[in-house]
Amino acid sequence: MAVLIADKRVLHADLDGDSVRAANGSMVAYTGKVEFKYASGGGGFRAAMKRGVAGESISLMTCTGAGRVYLAQDAMDVTVVQLSNDRMTVESEHILAITDGLQLDVQFSGLRGMTTGKGVATTTVTGTGQCAIMSDGPLIALAVTPGQPLVVDPDVYVAGTGQTQMSIISGVSWRSVIGEDTGEHFSLRFEGQGTIYIQPAER
Amino acid sequence: MISGIDATVYDAQSLPSNDNVNAYAFSIDLDGEWFTSKGAMIAYYGAIELSGLSAYASHAAWVAARFSSPLYAQEWVVASGRGKLVIGDRGNDINSYDLDNGNLTIKQTNLLAFETALELKQSIIPGFVTLIGTGKFLASSNGPVIFVEPPFRADPDALLGWADCPSPSIHYDYHWMSQSLSAGVHAMFGRESGEERQYDFTGAGTVLLQSSEVTRHDPALARIVEQHTHLLTAAAAGVLGHKLIARSQE
Repeated sequence: MAVLIADKRVLHADLDGDSVRAANGSMVAYTGKVEFKYASGGGGFRAAMKRGVAGESISLMTCTGAGRVYLAQDAMDVTVVQLSNDRMTVESEHILAITDGLQLDVQFSGLRGMTTGKGVATTTVTGTGQCAIMSDGPLIALAVTPGQPLVVDPDVYVAGTGQTQMSIISGVSWRSVIGEDTGEHFSLRFEGQGTIYIQPAER
Repeated sequence: MISGIDATVYDAQSLPSNDNVNAYAFSIDLDGEWFTSKGAMIAYYGAIELSGLSAYASHAAWVAARFSSPLYAQEWVVASGRGKLVIGDRGNDINSYDLDNGNLTIKQTNLLAFETALELKQSIIPGFVTLIGTGKFLASSNGPVIFVEPPFRADPDALLGWADCPSPSIHYDYHWMSQSLSAGVHAMFGRESGEERQYDFTGAGTVLLQSSEVTRHDPALARIVEQHTHLLTAAAAGVLGHKLIARSQE
C-alpha cells in the first residue's frame, strides 16, 4: 500500500508495487523503479464537462512502481490528510497527491456570481486513503457551527470538511459608487457544521 | 473520519483578540470601525460590512477628518460592525504596532489596517503615508522587521518606515558623486546602479527596515508624481514629457 509522508514542503510517496496520482509536473526526484503517466483528473467525461464549465482544471499524473517519489510545487507547505470512508472538498490547485481508494469529483456550486470562474467549483475527495494538500503558508482552521457562519476570501480558501453549505455573497455593498469597491469582488459564505481551511496568502 | 491536519481549529470566540493568528495572519476584534486596505480581509465571523471609503464618508463625516489623503481613498475601505476580522497580505509577515500620541511614517503598500482613532496623512516622500495620534495599526513586511536608531543610512527598497524622527534626506555615495562632478555629468540616467542613492536619517527616533522587498503595485504613485510636476514651467514639463516618452519606448 502506497504511503504519503509530508516533510515540510516536500511530500514523500513510498510506492510498493502500486500507484498514486499526483499533480502534473510536481515530481522533483525519485528512487527505485517508477513510471509516470499523464492522465486526466478522473470522474470521466461528465467531470471533464463540468471542469470546462467552471473554468477549473485539475490534471494529475499516475506514478506506478516501487520506490520513493519526492513531490513538491512552488515551495508550498504540504499536509497529508487521512480519510476513512469520509469526504472533504479541496480547491483543485491545492491537491498534490492522492492514493488509490480515493475518488475525485468536481463539485459545482452554481453559476451565480461566477465572474472570475475562481473558487466556485472545488474538487470533492471521497473514500478511504491519503490526500496531500498544499498551502502557501501554514493552514488556518476555522470552525463553522450552526448560527455562526464564516465568510472567506475565495483566493485563500484551500479545503473544507464536514457538512457545510457554501453560498456566494457580493462584496460590493449597495452604498458603493462606480469606480470604488471593497477589493473583495465576492466572498464565500459557509453555513452548517464543519471546518474550513484557509492559507494566509491570496492566490 | 478525517485526520492528519494538526492546525488549531478556531471559531469566533477562540480566534485571538487583536493578536496574530500566526506570523502571517492577524485577527481584529472588531466592534465599531477600522480602516483596512483593499483586499486585506481573508476571513471573518459576525456581522461585518466592508464599504468603500467615500460611500461610508457620506453618512460619517469623521472619515474625512481622519483619512486625509484623497489620492489613497480608492485603495482603502471601512470595515464596520461586530465580529472577528482576519487580515492577511500575500503570506507576508504581519505585525501590529501601538502608537501613543506619536507619529509614524510607513510605505503605503505595507500598511494594512489602522484604528479610526489614528489620523492618516500623505507623507511628502512619494509612496509613504504618516499616521498621527493614539491607536493600533497593522503593517506587513517581507521577513521580520528590523528596528534601527539614527544616524543611519537605508536602502530605499528595504525601508519600511520611520517614527518620531525628521523625514530623511537623500544621500549620494561619495565616489559616485565625485565621479559625476569631475566628469561634468549632469544627467543621472543610465549611471545609477541602485546602490549609490540612500536615505539619510538624522535626529532621534526609530527607523524600520525589512529584509527584502517584493514590491506591490501602488496605483496612487503615478498620481502623486504627476502632482509634483505642477512645480515645473510649461517648457520644463514639455522637456520632461519627451524624456518620459523616450523611456517608455526603450
